[in-house]
Amino acid sequence: MTIEGADLVKAAALLGAGLSMGLGAIGPGVGEGMAAAKACEAIGRNPKEAGLLTRTMLVGQAVAESTGIYSLVIALLLLFVV
Amino acid sequence: MDRLGEIHQLIIPLPGYTVTINLEVLVMTGIVFFLALTFGFAAGRKKSLLPGPVQVIGELIVTQLYGLTEEALGKTHAKTYAPLICALFIFLLISNWLGILPHLEEPTRDLNTPLSLGILGFVIAHYVGIKEKGFKIYIKSYFEPVFFLMPLNLIGELAKIVSISFRLFGNIMGGAIIILVVSYLTYSILLPPFLNVFFGLFVGTIQAFVFTMLTVVYISVQLK
Amino acid sequence: MTLLAVDNQTLTQIAAYVGGAVAMGFGAIGAATGEGYTASRAAEAIARNQEHSGVIIKNMLVGQAISESASIFSLVIAILLLFMDVSDPSIVKAAALLAAGLCMGFGAIGSGVGAGVPAGRSCLAIARQPATAGRITTNMLIGTAVCQTPAIFAMVVALILLFKPIGSVAAFPTCAALIGAGLSTGLAAIGSGYGGGMAAGASCEGVARQPETTTAVTTTMLVGQAVSQTPSVFGLLVSFILIFKSFPASTTLSASVGLLSAGLCMGLGGIGPGIGNGMAAEGAVRWVARRIEYAGDLMRIMLVGQAVSQSTAIYAMVVSLVLIFVV
Repeated sequence: MTIEGADLVKAAALLGAGLSMGLGAIGPGVGEGMAAAKACEAIGRNPKEAGLLTRTMLVGQAVAESTGIYSLVIALLLLFVV
Repeated sequence: MDRLGEIHQLIIPLPGYTVTINLEVLVMTGIVFFLALTFGFAAGRKKSLLPGPVQVIGELIVTQLYGLTEEALGKTHAKTYAPLICALFIFLLISNWLGILPHLEEPTRDLNTPLSLGILGFVIAHYVGIKEKGFKIYIKSYFEPVFFLMPLNLIGELAKIVSISFRLFGNIMGGAIIILVVSYLTYSILLPPFLNVFFGLFVGTIQAFVFTMLTVVYISVQLK
Repeated sequence: MTLLAVDNQTLTQIAAYVGGAVAMGFGAIGAATGEGYTASRAAEAIARNQEHSGVIIKNMLVGQAISESASIFSLVIAILLLFMDVSDPSIVKAAALLAAGLCMGFGAIGSGVGAGVPAGRSCLAIARQPATAGRITTNMLIGTAVCQTPAIFAMVVALILLFKPIGSVAAFPTCAALIGAGLSTGLAAIGSGYGGGMAAGASCEGVARQPETTTAVTTTMLVGQAVSQTPSVFGLLVSFILIFKSFPASTTLSASVGLLSAGLCMGLGGIGPGIGNGMAAEGAVRWVARRIEYAGDLMRIMLVGQAVSQSTAIYAMVVSLVLIFVV
């Protein structure tokens, strides 16, 4: 197997895409889970405010998602554009 | 050991493409239907006030599942959809337990069965959603909470089918493979009955219940 | 192609031994940590409630036995790898054996630690409410058994990798595909195993606090665990695709690295969402026990929160599938 320059670059791009999305999914997963856990507890304490609490949780999770979306964008860029 | 992936298939070449039918799965599904219908008849035959054992089991399953469905969907919808949920649970329970009997295997071991049940739940959930909320509000719900999350919401819905089907498939086929390999390694001494009880009865019951519960919950999410 | 100056038989042996070592080495981490946590909580429980130490110790031993099962899976795979007679040595077979070891090694970590959590919390729960010890133990058994599912998935993939006949396929990129398959399920099972354990732990506490809510708590726990196992299901799916799809022979580095990267992406991507979903399930189960009348609402918010939290696992799966099929 002879490794040439362009092939090596492409291999590096593919590996980078995988690592980017793979490692990038760890943080948002844990963070959004924490948000969901605390929202469940809050609704348990105060069920009348369920609608407001759900909306707050979703907004907070959407913001926490942003780094995950950055990882996805970089991964897709590495796959298709570079 | 080399017979791990071997199934009998009936391949019908039609003009255009070939139709492949897995014979074993069809036969096993037929056996499940037969057993379920027999159970149904035996449980509902006499309807006495002092029920016999079969009627007790039937009433237990039906009342528990009706209760679950009513809690999730509300009384009016529960009337329409609870029979479906009960049928789904009884079908999955008997399917997962069928592997314990010798020479029979679970129809849920083939990916087609859980996948088709998953698609069934998905189609029903979205049909109910569209019928209840109207088409516009249904489409609008994909654009919440932020506008550009639409493709991700869409993929999330499809991922629900994948997850619910593959969970059932993975658990049941995984249990079957583990029983096969461990029986081969230990020359079928001592261990296989315990494995059968764990994977067949215990895991089978829990996975059937989880599949049914998730279907109810997906329908209720669409109704909100 | 020869990696080193060895023949296929030796290479296969090397891969088998390394795989066996990795399988048992990593596989021992989770179960030991989980059992240690259980023992520590049991000691605390006995300190609080000495008369019931017998019941507590019995509960601890039962819980530790189930927590052990993940590392017993690893032991079985390791013994198979060490003593199996390899009939068709080749580079691809070597990669398959190494991948089997990696898969089972990583896959046993999460379930081992995760099963220790409910066992420990149930010991504390029995100390608090000795009268309901039977119900607590039953709940713990159900929770820890379901928590073993990701380790079962990892064992399935490892067994398929061990026993699937290789036939005559090209060495590259199938080698990379098989190693990617092992990593995909193995790593993704870490998060799901631990997450499922968190939910089961909260349910044991809840049953002790309010024994009459047992059914609702167990139901919510089962649904929460099932959803938090979804990332490991995605890992299983990607593993199956990588094992059973036939790839056109290609000796370019990018083809091999692409498939390896697909497995790595899905594997790593399953860790975070698994743990996050477990946290959400834990919160929901804890409060279902305290406020049984809002069980339906709590389950709904748990599912919504878990669904959003899983979206990064879905992104990882999409990138994996793109790496396999498109690039």
